[in-house]
Amino acid sequence: MQAELLVRARRLSLTLGKRQILDDISFELRRAEITTIIGPNGAGKTTLTNIVNGLIGDFEGEIERMPGLRIGYLPQKVYVNTLMPLSVKRLLQLTYSPTDQELDRALAQTEVAYLKQRQVRSLSEGELKRVLLARTTLGQPDLIVLDEPTAGVDVSGETRMYKLIGELRDQLQCAVLLVSHDLHLVMSQTDQVLCLNQHLCCSGLPESVSQHPEYLALFGQQASDSIAIYTHHHDHEHDVSGESPEHRHD
Amino acid sequence: MIEWLDDFAVRAVIAGLIMVAIAAPMGCLMVWQRLAFLSDTLGHAAVMGVGLGLLLQVQPIFGVLAVALLIVFSLSRVTSFNTALSETTLAIISHTGLAGGIILVGLLPANTVNLEAILFGDLLATTTSDLLTLLVTTVLLLFVLLHHWRSFVAVSVSREIAQAEGIEVRKVQFLMYIMIALLVAVMMKVMGVLLIAAMLVIPTTSARLFSRSPEQMVFISGLYGLGALAGGITGSFHFDWQTGPAIVVSATLLLLLTLVVTRSLKPHLE
Repeated sequence: MQAELLVRARRLSLTLGKRQILDDISFELRRAEITTIIGPNGAGKTTLTNIVNGLIGDFEGEIERMPGLRIGYLPQKVYVNTLMPLSVKRLLQLTYSPTDQELDRALAQTEVAYLKQRQVRSLSEGELKRVLLARTTLGQPDLIVLDEPTAGVDVSGETRMYKLIGELRDQLQCAVLLVSHDLHLVMSQTDQVLCLNQHLCCSGLPESVSQHPEYLALFGQQASDSIAIYTHHHDHEHDVSGESPEHRHD
Repeated sequence: MIEWLDDFAVRAVIAGLIMVAIAAPMGCLMVWQRLAFLSDTLGHAAVMGVGLGLLLQVQPIFGVLAVALLIVFSLSRVTSFNTALSETTLAIISHTGLAGGIILVGLLPANTVNLEAILFGDLLATTTSDLLTLLVTTVLLLFVLLHHWRSFVAVSVSREIAQAEGIEVRKVQFLMYIMIALLVAVMMKVMGVLLIAAMLVIPTTSARLFSRSPEQMVFISGLYGLGALAGGITGSFHFDWQTGPAIVVSATLLLLLTLVVTRSLKPHLE
């Protein structure tokens, strides 16, 4: 039996001016599944996540969300308002009203409990990402949307971040929609890959996507090999990430 | 009418106090959302509103409000979710409004209007009906602020996150614009159209130097606003300085003083 359907997107298209950003994209997001969007720069990855979480409304096609769907969102570039004095604790209470216990538990979950009383403007990028990840869990989300959660995080931090995302999925039983460049690091956890380049080049299980001709055309044989290596040697993630030549960043 | 309101000095002080009460929270929100320049634009364009109001023989404040609302309505139509207000657009509106306004005011018979009072404020000439307008508008604005404070703060921190978590950012933003239009219309009397933004930005900047939470920053801004008001009114009474400029200079002096004190204390605190 398939897991509960949370979001169904049918034939999404978006044109900005004369530029086609997204072309005829369909997919489904299900409870407790991790879906990873991969694709080159400018492929429309962030745009697609923004349609899912409701930030963009003027698209063609249909998107159905489970009634009452709660979404937690971690944007790619978090503009930290340095003009506002704000503690980490207060940041977590902005739109939610967690109890002290919930707040501590959320921060502990992403290993940043020690930052609770700090001012947000004094955090490093990596610390801020983890605080915000903790924040997304507070609203008991059905779906967490993470747009390149490891941008600005160092390599060892990346591995831990992805491990954390997997743990959150298990604990919260929520769906995760993840935008990532770090193919080799994400793949082992991913249930569904959407390979995007304006249109949906291919989608499905990581192993099948990595052998798809369009995927190979986009990312090259080496990327595919590194996934193959990864899926066979789960324990040596550092070696693989260190050696991977396909390390793209926006 | 209440007798003690007959004293122009009492009216001036009350008008100043009301202005500080609303300038502190609005100023903080505008600084957080980088909207201070919008108040400047609305202020400059308000001269056009004054001119129109006088030509059409209605209270200038209604002319100002009409122009300010027209501008924020148009701006909210042309700005999309992610783009901040363009500085170029604001500069064009700002200076066209000011220039057009000066021409309009020039068309009026001589001595119908004191241009200097419009540009730089005339706190000491506050009438009882000015006071009433200021009070009603401020109470209305404070009520909306209290009611939506959480949303305003959340949107200030991150529009994207707020939107994804169910806050209707565009509505909040639009509400904010309308409130700024109202604010400019009422602050004009005290500060003068050219100096409104200063009163929203300078006390706020002082407060930011040592605030730990958004609300604390609002409160401390209010205290700095009071200090600036006291300085300005003193300068006005005793040296016959224009009130608006005197308030702004006092606010800046307080900011400098705070900078010096916090800088010299810092090594000892660490």
